[in-house]
Amino acid sequence: MSSDQSLRINDLCKSYGGAPVLDRFSLRVAPGEFVALLGPSGAGKTTLLRCVAGLIAPDSGEIMLGRQPMHLLTGAALRRARHDIGFVFQQFNLVRRRTALGNVLTGRLSDVALWRIVLGRFPDADRRAAFSALERVGLLDQAWQRADSLSGGQQQRVAIARALVQRSRLMLADEPVASLDPAAAESVLSLLREVAREHEMSVLCSLHQPALAERYADRICAIAAARGPLTIA
Amino acid sequence: MSPWRGVRFGLILLAVAAFYAFCIAFAEIDLSRLWRGLPRLGAWAARAWPPDFSDFPALLTRAAETIAMATLGATVGALIAAPLCLLAARNTAPVSFLQLPARWLLDALRGIDSFVFALLFVAAVGLGPFAGVLGIALHSAGSIAKLWSESIESVERGPIEAAMMSGAGRLRIIVHALLPDVLPSLSSSMLYIWEFNLRASTVLGLVGAGGIGQELKSSIDLLDFPRVLAILLIIMAMVTAVDQLSALIRRRIA
Ligand SMILES: Nc1ncnc2c1ncn2[C@@H]1O[C@H](COP(=O)(O)OP(=O)(O)O)[C@@H](O)[C@H]1O
Ligand SMILES: [Mg+2]
Repeated sequence: MSSDQSLRINDLCKSYGGAPVLDRFSLRVAPGEFVALLGPSGAGKTTLLRCVAGLIAPDSGEIMLGRQPMHLLTGAALRRARHDIGFVFQQFNLVRRRTALGNVLTGRLSDVALWRIVLGRFPDADRRAAFSALERVGLLDQAWQRADSLSGGQQQRVAIARALVQRSRLMLADEPVASLDPAAAESVLSLLREVAREHEMSVLCSLHQPALAERYADRICAIAAARGPLTIA
Repeated sequence: MSPWRGVRFGLILLAVAAFYAFCIAFAEIDLSRLWRGLPRLGAWAARAWPPDFSDFPALLTRAAETIAMATLGATVGALIAAPLCLLAARNTAPVSFLQLPARWLLDALRGIDSFVFALLFVAAVGLGPFAGVLGIALHSAGSIAKLWSESIESVERGPIEAAMMSGAGRLRIIVHALLPDVLPSLSSSMLYIWEFNLRASTVLGLVGAGGIGQELKSSIDLLDFPRVLAILLIIMAMVTAVDQLSALIRRRIA
């Protein structure tokens, strides 16, 4: 049992201007487990995932990733901890004018000398890792294509490859298929599930379609707005 | 329409008219003086034709000097602007307490004309184009930093957040994830400042800061109008050529 690799969220609270969004939210995600976060728009899914990523600070509660207390970290310690977390966004968030390869190499930024980044000369080991991540997501042929010339599904695969070269232990995905057509949505979700198994990577993925959650997730965590109706369609 | 609106409109009209009356009085507008001066201007214009290109090689050298000043001025300005715009832009400022001072500095540099900086540098480093370059550089630094920080602030936050998840520090993220998307607009601003500098630096000769303006001033002082006309034609050709070139490059990188 490698329980110190898991993600544990305890009693997390976050409110905006007095309106509670997360109210004592708790969740545990084991290594290699795919947990779907299911809830209607406004339920606080984005807020929760951004708290875990350290992009916003919760009001109280704790977020443990392995032995790292994410809710306590700031500055350089937070940056180091983020290295263990991949984030896949609804809008992909690739650097438009970089190639697929360049975007995947983003996952290696923290270990590369600044002058190499300025000149775009990443070390061979990093380039090899980026190529094999692109191969894993089925985009080796598109390596030299500019990100903004790829389809939505391909861009989301590049984003997954970016998290793979980072060798993240945890993958957060915020409605990763909400901007995709049904076929692309299925392939992105099955890719996420496969890489989670291969790399013993925990996945916490927000969705708003119960059917997709049931098909791909090991477990579903329903999240409802902290205030208001508790019904989920 | 309520009667009130009519009254308000009348009051605004009155205020605008009063402001113009004030401006005309302060600017000492006197059309009769223009009327009396017109024959003199006419006689000069008549005497200017044909333009005197006998000094063409020397004038071309001076024009090249002006282009060199504008180019180096914009380049040195950009070097100063690069750190300044990163300090001033909301989304790249490493520490918020430096953001306001950085903005003040760039507003001050932008607010003071190259001409004024050149006057100071002529006094400090002596006559010649070097003083002009320094003057242009300081003013350009402010203008470029202002334009650049606006471009940087308008960039999407998403790709930067994605790069933050790699655990890398600020500079690495800026270089890898921010710069590629803003580079076209940064280069376009820089070219715009280059064009602007060329027009501005034709007058720097008036304070002895080199370039073709210096020939212009000495010819006007000597009332040598054919030569003045030749210089004006060269300036127009030079400015037009650079405008066209710059517009062409900007279209290509857009
Ligand atoms: N920065 C913010 N400022 C104020 N309110 C916010 C902010 N971010 C989110 N909210 C509010 O928090 C609630 C949950 O938002 P969000 O986490 O985006 O939900 P979801 O991702 O499930 O749709 C919403 O009511 C939203 O209006
Ligand atoms: Mg959301």
